[in-house]
Amino acid sequence: MTEWMPIILFAVICLVLMAGFPVAFTLAGTSLLFAGIGLLTNTLDPAFLSAFPNRLFGILNNQILIAVPLFVFMGVMLEKSRIAEQLLRNLGLLFGPVRGGLGFSVILVGMLLAASTGIVGATVVTMGLISLPAMLRTGYSPALASGTICATGTLGQIIPPSTALIILGDVLSSAYQQAQLNMGIFTPDTVSVADLFVGALIPGLLLVVAYLLYTGLVALFQPGAAPAVADRPTMSPRFLLELLNGLLPPLALIIAVLGSILTGIATPTEAAGIGALGALILAILYREFDLKRLREVVDSTLQVTSMIFLIFIGAALFSLVFRGFGGEELVHEVFNDLPGGVFSAMLLVMVVIFLLGFILDFIEITFVVVPIVAPVLLTMGVDPIWLGIMIAINLQTSFLTPPFGFALFYLRGVAPANVPTRTIYRGVIPFILIQLALLGLLAIFPELATWLPHEIYG
Amino acid sequence: MQQLINILDGITLRTGQAIRWLALLMVLISCGVVLLRYSFDQPSIAMQEAVMYLHATIFMLGSAYTWQQGGHVRVDVFYRGWSKQRRRWVDRLGILFLVLPTCLFMLWVSWTYVGNAWAIQERSQEASGLPYIYLLKTLILMLPITLILQAIAELLRSLTATDTGAAQHD
Repeated sequence: MTEWMPIILFAVICLVLMAGFPVAFTLAGTSLLFAGIGLLTNTLDPAFLSAFPNRLFGILNNQILIAVPLFVFMGVMLEKSRIAEQLLRNLGLLFGPVRGGLGFSVILVGMLLAASTGIVGATVVTMGLISLPAMLRTGYSPALASGTICATGTLGQIIPPSTALIILGDVLSSAYQQAQLNMGIFTPDTVSVADLFVGALIPGLLLVVAYLLYTGLVALFQPGAAPAVADRPTMSPRFLLELLNGLLPPLALIIAVLGSILTGIATPTEAAGIGALGALILAILYREFDLKRLREVVDSTLQVTSMIFLIFIGAALFSLVFRGFGGEELVHEVFNDLPGGVFSAMLLVMVVIFLLGFILDFIEITFVVVPIVAPVLLTMGVDPIWLGIMIAINLQTSFLTPPFGFALFYLRGVAPANVPTRTIYRGVIPFILIQLALLGLLAIFPELATWLPHEIYG
Repeated sequence: MQQLINILDGITLRTGQAIRWLALLMVLISCGVVLLRYSFDQPSIAMQEAVMYLHATIFMLGSAYTWQQGGHVRVDVFYRGWSKQRRRWVDRLGILFLVLPTCLFMLWVSWTYVGNAWAIQERSQEASGLPYIYLLKTLILMLPITLILQAIAELLRSLTATDTGAAQHD
């Protein structure tokens, strides 16, 4: 019985989560109740609990995650100052006259929005509110429109510089160190947030290309599903100027932020700070800036940051209790006893994460599940960057999958009532297939994720 | 009773409304750090640490406010569809068995840890760093204290709420 305690703890937490009380409190509270049982039955060493304050200080002191509120600030600023909206409108004007053109614009804007909160809900809602009405008005099939929006809304998390990748990078980097210490390597290699960003570039762009291709094929073979915008803009110099004016500055900002991280000129935190200030300046330049909006931006930043870090704190208590009950050894044993070695261990983790993606968001899974499974997988010789990208794309697929996928719920929330839920489900299927194909490709050719980081950082 | 709820809610609200501006300050100072480092080749450890302090203060003191505003994510697959009555029970039980024990535990387990930092007036390990590590560590006590205040407000609100929809946070 005692050796199964960690599994029971995990299962009970999943059950309690279903009641709908905030995740952070559920994680911490349920773990604490189990710790109480453990102390009473003498099956838990109190030393694990007394390590908690030090863990908390580690969270306050975490240098990498300081980038999180800064990136959130930047994303919310870009969103609230309606820069994304303008971007979509301008791209729509540019590509609109082409069949499928509006679909292309939505995908591209979704990719650029990546820097935005990195929280699935926010991006899907924003995209749903801006793009869905426009696509439906133009005569897009509701299935294609909602599929495109769900898929591009979740795309944000694996396109750098997403908040999701920063958190995943931080968690993976400590898991990687731990794995190497377990193996007796005392001068461990490191894996950084920048490594993960670079690793995500090729797979992320492949996804974008695949989405664009799919939309293009639909436009080619089912012209009725992705028609061109009826009214063509006149290509006057004034129109072109306006187009560039709306397009270049945000694009430059995102490229500057990403570029300075990838080339190593700036740390993710520095780049995030500059990006946040840049977004603020853009808002001023576009005359979308006032005190009320600034207040909304700092308020959202505070709430999203608190939400993320309170989950981190809850997860820290969970992981202490989980370890206290011998959870690590248990996971290790289970993985080592699997027939098929690394392959089946990885497959098992992927399936579990996919299923957990139905109830937990990216952040929770990164803080709760990844620290449990990653050290074991990394000890078995899995590449940390590849693991991170696989997890990210897997989760993104999970968020798209009916009937529980997060993205679907959020889109349902903002979609007009005359778009039936069935249609949304039908619309995402092609995108799920694209995701699965990419996961398969990555499994066969890990170089898709690992080649570029090794090329750049050696 | 309502008065007590209002007072507690007010404390949380004001704290949140003040704390949120630290996000802007954090952006500005972190840009200052970059500017100093790249233009004048002068890394400022004190300023870097200030950014870290601000960052920590935002979520340690902002969590109760975020809770009040409904910003902590829930798995609402079922919750969303439940009756107000049922959701209120989830919240009451959650506060009693999850939030309050966790906060009391945090206070109890961190008390000496933070006390020790105060006793030696713990400062940064960097010579030019900020000498206020003990204040930073005090946030570890502030988080449960602010959460307990809000928990009492939420609990009382849930208990006094009538089913005619008088509760403001449903």
